[in-house]
Amino acid sequence: MKISTRGRYGLRLLVDIAEHGNEGPVALSHVAVRQNLSEKYLQQVALLLTRGGYLLSVKGAGGGYLLNMEPDKMSIYQVLDLLEGNIAFEETPQGEESAIQRCIRLHYYQKLDLEVKRVFKDITLDEVTKADWFSYVI
Amino acid sequence: MKLSTKGRYSLETLVYLATCRENCSIRSISEATGISSGYLEQLMIPLKKAGLVDAERGVQGGYRIARKDITCAEVLLASEGDFLPAPCKGCSQSDFCKTHQIWSLLQNTVVEFSKEILIESLAAHLVESEEGGGI
Repeated sequence: MKISTRGRYGLRLLVDIAEHGNEGPVALSHVAVRQNLSEKYLQQVALLLTRGGYLLSVKGAGGGYLLNMEPDKMSIYQVLDLLEGNIAFEETPQGEESAIQRCIRLHYYQKLDLEVKRVFKDITLDEVTKADWFSYVI
Repeated sequence: MKLSTKGRYSLETLVYLATCRENCSIRSISEATGISSGYLEQLMIPLKKAGLVDAERGVQGGYRIARKDITCAEVLLASEGDFLPAPCKGCSQSDFCKTHQIWSLLQNTVVEFSKEILIESLAAHLVESEEGGGI
């Protein structure tokens, strides 16, 4: 089971902007240094998050990125779903699906996806940033 | 987020074995699952090592499921190696990295849920669907 680099870097970018956005737009070059990530890659992820409505791009001198919504309204589940393309374990059957594959899809992957959604849907960026959210009980 | 092919195929193999009363040859597993014989031989190595399948040599030989209470979590742990959704192991920032905790929670969620799903009950659903003529 793997989350892609896009998912991981994207989340770190959002946490960083949430923590440093109080003083104005956050430059990706600063995020790159703080997070030890490639600025080029951050640009791609930032573009995706901007298109998805999570970030606001501010042009010009002193420009950078701001959160486009309150961090306590930003669902980690939805952010990851965007960054990963699709966060589900269930895959749409490509071509012919065997009876065994169908059985596992319906009775395991689908239910697993519901469980992940149940646990993650109410976790917001705000809670992650404050890092006191780990009291969540599975 | 994806399980590896190895993980998915191992689940399919175990579910099939759980529906069989006798030892299954690699060929018959391959016919039922559509997984190539060569790949099945590879999948069996970690599954055997983890004590999830038994292998018997000889004319009546083949593979069978080792226990009735095997869970999806056991199969995936044996085949995928680990469940770490992100390569945090050994990362110098993992102690204070806030996103690290999300991956830990994701890992726990998946593992704990998968411990509840028995291969045996998936096999029962499979047999039921085949008897119903649905597939």
